[in-house]
Amino acid sequence: MPTLFPTTVAPRGFVSTDPELAAVDASVRWPVMVCFLTAVHWMVVGTFLLVYASSLTHPQDAFPIFGWFVDLSNNFSMFTYGRVWPAAVDALVYGWAGTAGLGLAAWLLARMSREPIRKPAALMTAVVFWNLGVATGLTGIFLGDSTGVELLEFPVYASWALWLAYALFALWAVATYLARRPGYDHIAQAWVLAALFAFPWLYGAGSILLGSHPLPGSGVIQEVIGAWYVHGIYTLWLAPLGLGLLYYLIPKISGISIRFGSKAKVAFWTWIVFAPWTAVHDLVGGPFPAETVATGLILSGLIFIPVALIGMNLVPTAFAAEEKQGHHGGIVVPFLVLAAVLFVVAGLSEQILSIRSANQLLRFTLFRECNCFLWVYGFFSFVVFGSIYYIVPRLLDFGWRSALLVRIHYYTSLYGILLVIAMLGFGGVMQGNTLENPDAQVTIATATGVALSFHIAATMCISLIAIGNGLFALHLGWMLIDWLRLRVRGNRLAAEVLLEPYEGDAPNRASKEVAA
Amino acid sequence: MNIITNFRAFFALLFAAFLFTWIALVVFPWLELGHLPPIQEEGSTDITPWDSSGAAHQGEPVYAANGCAYCHTQQVRPAGSGADIIRGWGTAKDEDGKDVTRRTYPRDYIWQGQVFLGNSRDGADLSNVAQRFPDAAGLYRYLYDPYVLNPHSSMPAYRFLFVTRKIAGQPSRDALVLPDADAPPAGYEIVPTAQAKSLVAYLLSLKKGYHLKPDEAGIPYVPPATKS
Repeated sequence: MPTLFPTTVAPRGFVSTDPELAAVDASVRWPVMVCFLTAVHWMVVGTFLLVYASSLTHPQDAFPIFGWFVDLSNNFSMFTYGRVWPAAVDALVYGWAGTAGLGLAAWLLARMSREPIRKPAALMTAVVFWNLGVATGLTGIFLGDSTGVELLEFPVYASWALWLAYALFALWAVATYLARRPGYDHIAQAWVLAALFAFPWLYGAGSILLGSHPLPGSGVIQEVIGAWYVHGIYTLWLAPLGLGLLYYLIPKISGISIRFGSKAKVAFWTWIVFAPWTAVHDLVGGPFPAETVATGLILSGLIFIPVALIGMNLVPTAFAAEEKQGHHGGIVVPFLVLAAVLFVVAGLSEQILSIRSANQLLRFTLFRECNCFLWVYGFFSFVVFGSIYYIVPRLLDFGWRSALLVRIHYYTSLYGILLVIAMLGFGGVMQGNTLENPDAQVTIATATGVALSFHIAATMCISLIAIGNGLFALHLGWMLIDWLRLRVRGNRLAAEVLLEPYEGDAPNRASKEVAA
Repeated sequence: MNIITNFRAFFALLFAAFLFTWIALVVFPWLELGHLPPIQEEGSTDITPWDSSGAAHQGEPVYAANGCAYCHTQQVRPAGSGADIIRGWGTAKDEDGKDVTRRTYPRDYIWQGQVFLGNSRDGADLSNVAQRFPDAAGLYRYLYDPYVLNPHSSMPAYRFLFVTRKIAGQPSRDALVLPDADAPPAGYEIVPTAQAKSLVAYLLSLKKGYHLKPDEAGIPYVPPATKS
């Protein structure tokens, strides 16, 4: 693989070849950079917490270094598994995916409006309050104020900040969209707008009805709302954001228009209608109205329609883009290819869970964790990695520093995520086989024993991901420091090593489809 | 390739799509199950489900804050779907000491302030945990050191829910009786904190040894098989 990520000196700067887009990029530079930097910071925090939490799932078989974690967790409430695990997931969902999503949505909508943004202060305020909300929420979880509701653990005093920040952001974004220059509309906008609309509804309803003002006497309805929320976050918030970026970036970089583009509209609407029904995967067999579950399984089973259509759109286009780049597969496209593939895999795992017998087997096992990893750490993270590699040079007019670091990041993330998915998926099946064993002699201890080896494997894979993610964060920091050296001190040495990432805006090669 | 030809129409359609899911998935079940009353048999003062004490309710936030629900479920699926009944999680004794084995129904949860049905079974189901751990002392010991009872347990120890203190005068009634490896130094005792007491009161309230009448909530009632 000598030429996958070649190092060459860029013949010129890194800003967009299209002067209009360059002006837009310049106008969003700082808000979007702040999003990316804080997001990467949360990614490092979340990944470390995840390694920590995962190491606590096998307290009797701790690795030498991790034994210390187990002692800490036994004796200090802050470090118990039941606080570290939700803190890790929330740091990744709201801190990493959420904050990066703010930056991506802002950049995309600004670019597609083709006008330098207005009211950058509103955007910046939203970003700052969002980050404050995440920080407060995580602190609350560690201090014991967690609500204990999956993905809604942030206590009330943090969640309102998060909600207001996102609502402000969504208003800004819609205003930016409405102020666009006509004639450049693209399906990516629809996906991003759907995500912007979904989050305030989901988070508002979720944190009011399950946190601050629970419905009186609601009983099991709490769990129905919880399931609707969790799956809404994956399928109506993260998935649309990530898909919007893929629909925009892949053609943009390669100049290849989306394959089967005429199906994209059907894909969008069928996804919006069917995908949230994956919520019933968490209700099968439980104390809920049978007809809701039965209807839900049918509707969530239809998710194969949008998954197949979106897969037809994105996967062949992404592979064609990679092939077209040839030796210059570049540093962006390989990440986007993986993101497209992982979207289809995540869709397939939802499809599996919509089959009642499979659901019975996998309902309470590691498979559910696998599903969460697929959406957050798999699909969405790879979209963000690719996008950051693409966008940051355009914002700063400065190149990435090292092809080797990108390569290590790519392969550690790739193998880390594939292995963790394989381990948790297969582990889920094995654990389910034991849990659902009709032999009355089999106990929960047997099932826990089966899950144990997969927990240990998962810790190792997550550690691998953590190495890659840490290097990615260091690389971004290195780039910023060199950028500062060049800008502030005019240090020409800093400008000398410039990694070729020029993946064009392709205005000349582009067909109408990618002209935006 | 554009699907927003008219922003207002797009927004209305998006809103309608979300509203459809919201109504069908949240509002409709709430109308159906949101106001289930308890049941009182004619000529009896017994009310089912059994209400839990105030101390038990105080344990709910402790259960939430320490994330018990990430590994423990509190739901028993019917015999036809899953092996929950076979694992013995649906069995509890009624007031006459007879075994009641059944799935859980929506009505079982009406007294709980916060419901923790859970989505993962790294640990056992807790719907009837008070049946298996009938006294507080056993639960305290298990929370303090799960590995005494089960050397291969993957449950964390919750030592931070206990304090080691010098015995002043009479030893505490709640002091933990521990094996030598965990025992405090002479003259000291290990006692549960207020949080541990609430949590254990909550766990002791988890017992569903009563029958439920036919449920109008769309889930047919199956009478327990009578052993003759």
